[in-house]
Amino acid sequence: MNVVWFLCLSAVLFCIGGAGVLIRRNPLVVLLCLELMLNAGNLALVAFSRMHGNGDGQIFALVVMVVAACEVVVGLGVIVGMYRNRIAEDVDAMSELRG
Amino acid sequence: MILPLADVPAPHIDYKGLSPLIALVGGTVLVLMAALLRGRFVQRSLLPLLTLGTLGAAMGLSIWVWSPGDHRPIVESALEVDALALSLSLVFYVAGIATVLLAHRSAALSDAGAGEYYTLLLSSVTGMVLLAEAANLITLFVGIELLSIPLYVLCASQVRRRASLEAGLKYLVIGSVGSATLLYGLALIYGAAGTTSFAGIDRALGDTVSLSDPLLLTGIALACAGLAFKASVAPFHQWTPDVYQGAPTPVTAFMAVATKAAAFAIFLRLFDSALLSAQFQWAPALAALATITIVVGNVGAIAQDSLKRMLAWSGVAQAGYILAGVVVGTQKGLEATVFYLLVYLLMNVAAFAVVIARERVSEWGDGMRALEGLGRAAPWLAWPMTIAMLALAGFPATAGFIGKFYLIDAAVDGDYAWLGVVIVAGSMISLVYYLRVVAVMWMGPMEVRLPSLPGRPRTAKPVGGWSPEADAWAQPEVTLVAVACAAATMFFGIWPNPLFDLVADVGTSLASLVG
Repeated sequence: MNVVWFLCLSAVLFCIGGAGVLIRRNPLVVLLCLELMLNAGNLALVAFSRMHGNGDGQIFALVVMVVAACEVVVGLGVIVGMYRNRIAEDVDAMSELRG
Repeated sequence: MILPLADVPAPHIDYKGLSPLIALVGGTVLVLMAALLRGRFVQRSLLPLLTLGTLGAAMGLSIWVWSPGDHRPIVESALEVDALALSLSLVFYVAGIATVLLAHRSAALSDAGAGEYYTLLLSSVTGMVLLAEAANLITLFVGIELLSIPLYVLCASQVRRRASLEAGLKYLVIGSVGSATLLYGLALIYGAAGTTSFAGIDRALGDTVSLSDPLLLTGIALACAGLAFKASVAPFHQWTPDVYQGAPTPVTAFMAVATKAAAFAIFLRLFDSALLSAQFQWAPALAALATITIVVGNVGAIAQDSLKRMLAWSGVAQAGYILAGVVVGTQKGLEATVFYLLVYLLMNVAAFAVVIARERVSEWGDGMRALEGLGRAAPWLAWPMTIAMLALAGFPATAGFIGKFYLIDAAVDGDYAWLGVVIVAGSMISLVYYLRVVAVMWMGPMEVRLPSLPGRPRTAKPVGGWSPEADAWAQPEVTLVAVACAAATMFFGIWPNPLFDLVADVGTSLASLVG
């Protein structure tokens, strides 16, 4: 099977993730979309690894999985902290800091 | 099953070269374990001392293992030590030490727990050192995440302050978008070049890969955008003022200096060594980014009333100046970039130390008014701030002037003379807000608010002499950091030769630029 299809799928996943981060309001869904973006990168890495016939991409993908897990842990921790302080679970309402 | 595994060739590891990283990781674990001991002495004194000791040991080891002109892998094709890695590691260690001192009386320490706070700080420094020594795409990504993830937590570490949590989440979301974009870019570069090592990519671009390969170009563009998020280069800078203001101020100081240096370390490694053959493809784009950044940062800073926000916008503008050194892709550009990062550390830490000192006692918090009349009330704080502001603006006789001069010289030398003009124009705009701070400190009226009676609030001019609010030595460690950094800024402005010697070594460290 041609590697192009895998790349197309990963590009679509990346765009869906990016659009989700921009559009969705719930921080949990935003985190979910971030995962989608990272995993799109993983898919591309594994596809390229297969194409080039070396293991670099697969090792990279494994490392990225660990990193993605760490990011989610921190993200969930911060969201729990916000719930405890009764801060609205809507990223639009976070406007204490105005840029 | 064991025997076939025994034949796997292990990479060559140079443990002597690795020792600074080992010291950092060991120190991180030690601090985390020591934090289990409750007790005032441990929490207030032992933990900061252990952290300072770790950073000091790592710094000493870095200098010990390094010899001039050195360039060798420490973990085969994953990490390598050279003058670039060493000089930027010094920036990270000094920034870490300054942060420990500045955070000593911070509210975030008791909110988050001293042990956790220092552990996160140390792991972030570890990530930065890893990043500066990276020799392939995987180490690059691990380093950038190891530096970012602890910083997300540190930003949110004042868990009882809304703004801190908000800053943490904003930084997390935007930082992760940056990481994901960077990762996708790195994946495409890997796809085009077929290898993850910087040297391998450099070789592949030389012969097998076409320089107009769309895969490669998309990869470079995405990686550039991802790194621009981390370095707060416009138009990816919008998070900077919010996060800088919301985060606890010592963490802001650390982010402003060390994260920026780390992001530029990787800009240099990726663009000036691995992707140098494609320079004519990326340099115009980076030059455009630098121009936008300089304009946006300087214009944005003018209207700010909060000192932290003002410094954030000024940091955006400074990132634009530093980017000019990366664009030219020459040995001189590399030297100028590293020189500016070293100087930027001193100027910015001095400024943030004064902001921290005032923020803790003044009713105006980090507002511009907190500095009113500081010149008369606390000259030990007013002078460092004045020197820092003048140096950031690039006044002669400060190190900032020499740094900017070096950058402009490198830009003109590398056929980007117009970028030098942009830097000068940007510096002229920046005088508006830097000099405003100086004016507020030395010219503003000094008023003390008296307890208000029913009716209008009363204020009076102080007769003079000592007042507890204005006493600079009530927080000796903060004043010490401010004075030391400001003194170094002046010293290297008048006698920059030690820094010149250091960056001359750095100039020869990227093999692709030499010759």
